Amino acid sequence: MSKQNENSMGPERHPWVSSFLEGWSIFRQNLLGKIGLTLLVMFALMALCSYIPPWISPIYDPMTGVDPDITSCSGPCLRHWLGTDFMGRDILSQLLAGARIAFMVGISAAVMSIVLGVSIGMTAGYMGRFIDTLLMRLADMIMVMPTLLVVLLLSAVFGQLNIWTIVLIIALFRWPGVSRIIRGQTLSLKQRPFIEAAKVAGASHFRIIFIHIMPNVLPLAFLFMTFRVTSAIITEAALAFLGFGDPGTVSWGMMLQWVWKTGHMFQAPYWLLPPGICISLITLSFYMLGRAMDEVLDPRLRKEDQTD
Amino acid sequence: MNTQDESVLKIRDVTKVYKGKGALFGASGKDVTALDRVSFDIFKGEIFGLVGESGSGKTTVGRLIVGLEDVSSGKIFLNGREVVGLKGRARKEFRSQVQMIFQDPYQSLNPQRAIYDTVSEPLKIHGVGNASTKRDLVREILQSVGLSPPDDFLFKYPHRLSGGQRQRVAIARAMVLKPTFVIADEPTSMLDASISAQIFNILLDMRNRLDVTQMFITHSLAAARYLCDRVAVIYRGNLMEIGSAEEVIRNPKHPYTQALLDAVPKFGHHRDVSRYGTLLIKDRDVAGENGCVFFPRCAVALEDRCAGSRPLLGRVSGEHRVACFLVEGA
Amino acid sequence: MALLEVDNLSIGYNTKKGYLKAVEKVSFDLEAGASLGFVGESGCGKTTIGMALMGLLPPNGSVKEGRILFEGKNTLEMTDEELRKIRWREMAMIFQAAMNALNPVQRVGNQIAEAILVHDPSVEKDQAMDQVENLFRLVGIPLDRLRDYPHQYSGGMKQRAVIAMALACRPKLIIADEPTTALDVIVQDQILGEIKELQKEFDLSIIFISHDISIVAHMCDHIGVMYAGQLVECGPREGVFESPAHPYTKALLSSFPTVTGKRSDLIPIPGETPNLVVPPHGCRFCDRCSGPEASCSTEPPQWVEIAPGHRALCCRC
Repeated sequence: MSKQNENSMGPERHPWVSSFLEGWSIFRQNLLGKIGLTLLVMFALMALCSYIPPWISPIYDPMTGVDPDITSCSGPCLRHWLGTDFMGRDILSQLLAGARIAFMVGISAAVMSIVLGVSIGMTAGYMGRFIDTLLMRLADMIMVMPTLLVVLLLSAVFGQLNIWTIVLIIALFRWPGVSRIIRGQTLSLKQRPFIEAAKVAGASHFRIIFIHIMPNVLPLAFLFMTFRVTSAIITEAALAFLGFGDPGTVSWGMMLQWVWKTGHMFQAPYWLLPPGICISLITLSFYMLGRAMDEVLDPRLRKEDQTD
Repeated sequence: MNTQDESVLKIRDVTKVYKGKGALFGASGKDVTALDRVSFDIFKGEIFGLVGESGSGKTTVGRLIVGLEDVSSGKIFLNGREVVGLKGRARKEFRSQVQMIFQDPYQSLNPQRAIYDTVSEPLKIHGVGNASTKRDLVREILQSVGLSPPDDFLFKYPHRLSGGQRQRVAIARAMVLKPTFVIADEPTSMLDASISAQIFNILLDMRNRLDVTQMFITHSLAAARYLCDRVAVIYRGNLMEIGSAEEVIRNPKHPYTQALLDAVPKFGHHRDVSRYGTLLIKDRDVAGENGCVFFPRCAVALEDRCAGSRPLLGRVSGEHRVACFLVEGA
Repeated sequence: MALLEVDNLSIGYNTKKGYLKAVEKVSFDLEAGASLGFVGESGCGKTTIGMALMGLLPPNGSVKEGRILFEGKNTLEMTDEELRKIRWREMAMIFQAAMNALNPVQRVGNQIAEAILVHDPSVEKDQAMDQVENLFRLVGIPLDRLRDYPHQYSGGMKQRAVIAMALACRPKLIIADEPTTALDVIVQDQILGEIKELQKEFDLSIIFISHDISIVAHMCDHIGVMYAGQLVECGPREGVFESPAHPYTKALLSSFPTVTGKRSDLIPIPGETPNLVVPPHGCRFCDRCSGPEASCSTEPPQWVEIAPGHRALCCRC
């Protein structure tokens, strides 16, 4: 029933813009989404603020800054709002630096796995037959491998891994889920008459995949990115806590490992709780954001407001 | 009426068999014959109607011609050149000559692309014109399908258009390369009657002005009668009757065509036209698959002859040909 | 007293783009045993009327004004409980998409028996099954298909089963909303024939909703032509189709190809239907009309009596 064309709507918007605006108005009604987004903005601010303490004084450097007056773990005071760790490093500045690392790890691993997943999924779905079977069996194989165990094995073989290697490994293990979804979407798009119309017009496979199919699967890919960020952050934290992290970076998982290793687990709650809470909250916030986007993208989940 | 000499499209003994999907364990599924040795010609400058019910194979014919599916056996010629199995440049050349208009205008336009992108795509693919001539060609074709002024539509996206306007865009996309042959697959079955009439008139106009030969696939005899010069009636993959539209519809010979015409609701002065009554109330149980495909439902069939073998198309008069043992001359 | 009297009915939907006036000031009567056909294009409000009669408007739709008198009682003032009692038992609906009206995981026979049991608790289970068998005979489904699941049925059989379900409680009024749209012409013909016979046999009243003039003309004695939410012409079949008065009816008839008579050029109706969120002030067909007068675009048209029982909403008639 909404077929009228109002000619007086000003310049035409790309469907992405209009669907973004429409999606935003749905998103705004979603409490989970709003909480998630607020939390994320907080963490983003934390990550940005991580540059401030080392700039104020070298003693606030999360890795190397040692307060000369403090020799052991001490509680919050005016100079160190959240206290210091066993060798006198500021916990607040570690926490801020951890936020930066979490974003870096989460987002870059997610982007890599999404790029891999989308291109593999589209290729498999569009080409079909042998290539499809090959790629999807590969995906199955990777999907059933326990990521953590494999990373542990790798680090046992190659020694300490640096943070980018960890990101890469996480990405390599996290594409199959995405590619399955994208493949399904591609399969259904492939049957749609507008793809057939492009074929009849003589479009090449390349053109069909990148001009006709990709724009239609990207929204779904973005949705999956939020879930992938969550899983990447958790994986990195788990690795670091188990002592397989990059010793040169201060991540929240690393902080937890130091707490545990130096035996302050139950002695210094001001040291244990902040990174723990941060890990839970950041994963929760990405998850809530994802849920809300899910509702925006999937009309079946939407409440009321249908015409005809 | 037709220029009988030149056939644009020749279809010879085209058969399409869909292989039954083999289950992982146990017996594989049965093969389904969607088209059984179909042959016909389409002449230059005509609109040829292919009429049938759902499952008759009428859409399959169209998809085979444009190469969206492969024929199982048989030959298709465009302007005398075989088109099955074309490769490389010859295939691209063929693509620029034959276009298709799809049934559902809500599905046949990419929602992410503006009208200009959609209509100019064939030009881009086949490297026709530069930026400004392309824009002119698109404007011109939009104008001629009745989307005017064209500049109002160029940068609109499909979701802002009504069904009728979308179908016009689809026609513009099919016609923008000035193809020799266009297949319209039930282009109006999703549209209202008044909008359908607009689309019919655009197709007629395209034939008259651009000399585009067309095949119109439809389930509606009335639409075929209005639009087409010649029609063929297809039932379960077999051509039953072919001839000039007026002849087939006003003077049908095949019991199936007669049954179809009986079933069309009539009104006004024609409420009481007599029925042919060629449809059985209850279908016969038929064991074999050798007989006429319409035999199970045919009220006038000869038990022995029609069940035993399948009739071929035979000439009744002039261009009018019928596949039925009961029709004289066939 | 007429079986159904609809008086000045207006219905709207709350949509993202605003309040959509789907039906405006529609009035009609239906006698017992009579058939009334609504014809019009998509979005003209014909389905909305059917839904409102059944009390089945979607959550964002509501009746703004008017009365629906069924056997003298206003169904719009009934409680849900009262409405549920007359729905199916007194008036039933055959829906557009028959496939979706059947539960895919239940045997067809049982579904219909259940419908009987729910609406009439006095019936025993065996009796209900007997009734279902009778219904299957009536609508022409072989009895050995009673225990099949819906997916084993063809399109036509499903539609027949839906008709059987509508008839299950012997209603006085049946509302058929495009019951044959998805079907092939031969099956459609058979089903329309069956509906006609059932109507005679049980003295049913039928409201038939379709976009296809020829079907409505084939099925109904009285015709209502709808355009953009308004009833624009109504009257007996012969009157409406042989001497149409409203320009829209005329245009609709001349845009419809036929298999009989002389082949004549189709005259399409130019333009598109108006936006019903902000409908035009005057006549809604004004923009597409072949010969509007100056006053047409500013003043709402009035009903004109063409012949007894035949009226049109047009100031040029």
